Amino acid sequence: MKVTLDESLCEAHGECVLAAPEVFDLDDDSDVAVLLDDSPPEDQRENVVMAARLCPVAAITVED
Amino acid sequence: MTIDAGTRPELGLLDVETYANGNPDTYGLPLDTYQWYRDNEPCSWQEFDDPALIDALWIVSRNEDIWTIDRDTETFATDRGYVNFWKVTPVDPTMGGSPAMLSMSGQDHKRNRGVISRGFTPKVVRRLEQKFRDYAIMVVDRAIEKGTFNFVDEIAHAMPMEALGDVLGVPPEDRAKFFHWVDQFAAPFDTRITPSFDDVMIAIGELMVYATELAEKRKVEPGEDVMSQIVKASADETLSEEEMMGNVALLASGAAESTRTALSHGMHELMRNPEQLAWLRERATDVPDTVAQEFVRIASPFTHLVRTATRDVEMHGKTIREGDRVAMLFASGNFDERAIENPRAFDLSRSPNMHVSFGRGPHTCLGKHVAALEIKILLEELMQRTRSIEPAGDIDYVRDAYSRGVYSLPVTVKPA
Repeated sequence: MKVTLDESLCEAHGECVLAAPEVFDLDDDSDVAVLLDDSPPEDQRENVVMAARLCPVAAITVED
Repeated sequence: MTIDAGTRPELGLLDVETYANGNPDTYGLPLDTYQWYRDNEPCSWQEFDDPALIDALWIVSRNEDIWTIDRDTETFATDRGYVNFWKVTPVDPTMGGSPAMLSMSGQDHKRNRGVISRGFTPKVVRRLEQKFRDYAIMVVDRAIEKGTFNFVDEIAHAMPMEALGDVLGVPPEDRAKFFHWVDQFAAPFDTRITPSFDDVMIAIGELMVYATELAEKRKVEPGEDVMSQIVKASADETLSEEEMMGNVALLASGAAESTRTALSHGMHELMRNPEQLAWLRERATDVPDTVAQEFVRIASPFTHLVRTATRDVEMHGKTIREGDRVAMLFASGNFDERAIENPRAFDLSRSPNMHVSFGRGPHTCLGKHVAALEIKILLEELMQRTRSIEPAGDIDYVRDAYSRGVYSLPVTVKPA
């Protein structure tokens, strides 16, 4: 599973952090979310797919 | 009661009477009417015969369609006038108001949201947590002393007022008058709250004057709050005075009224569902995140928001023409069985909860994490400090088809 976060779209809405806290984070002083793991283990798939679905600006894509 | 598929319901989707006299058994919402429209006319042209309201618009009632419209801001624009089905709102620059995030698009929206969201970062929210808990304890203890009281005024109003004051940077001594102005324009059709439309305009004017005074104050005494972020934004992202005023009005009505509404409807359902109340009491020291989301779903604090089509679009066999107004009926989308399992049940453990109360696109509620935190902390203190909470009279709704405010919810509490 390959996860990408488009930082030019991200507005730090934070939905991804709630859906997949092991894969995404929000830095205190950054205007965009942080992708902690761009190849997360398979057991994170459900959370990551939900994060992508919930992102209000469609900044997350999941491949494979 | 179910409505026959062949018969269009007599009442429209946004009739004031429907909400003013809402049925408490169905969250005060016309759930059967919503269902009829979702099943038979999910994109429905509705006309209004009231000089204060839009003449006509499309109403979209299915959950999935609301997601689609909210995310496609190219096709369904926010910056062509109308925020809801009222003709006048303080944040609509095409009708004499000031521009705010909700009535902007593209780079202007990104610039405004970028600056204002600095007042909502995880660090800021974490710092607010202890203050929110202090407010919750104060509010709950004061109410317990009264014994029997209107939950809306004593608890649901007091908590967001203090929280918004901190987030926005309104000093404690100004919060009561600030909230009074917000109430006036948040419920312009309920004469118990707003005697006449002149009062609405006066309140908007006073709020705008106050906002400019507050901006000056924060230039001298900056903090981490939203107003301080606005006045210290760098030259390339700075907000105009008009934008500052519009956003203050937007945040005030968004933060204050909606959280009060969610708490009030949620409390009402807790008292009607003893098994849910018991479930919550068992988790009183760490209320799960799902609770606030279910409060927000069943409350549907704003029934809808309006967008404008920028081109002709087909939807469910209807043609939405360029320039037509389109309402996303959140209150219906929140009870759509296509997206929400067993939607008429009040289920505090519901997960996932695909409700649309905060919106689901680029204009999604900026305060949604703060609101969820307020609800969680308030419930933790309320559950731990009381032994029982019972109804002391019937619920009474605000007379409005946009805002789902509760006018009164009499309760009796006993201390733990």
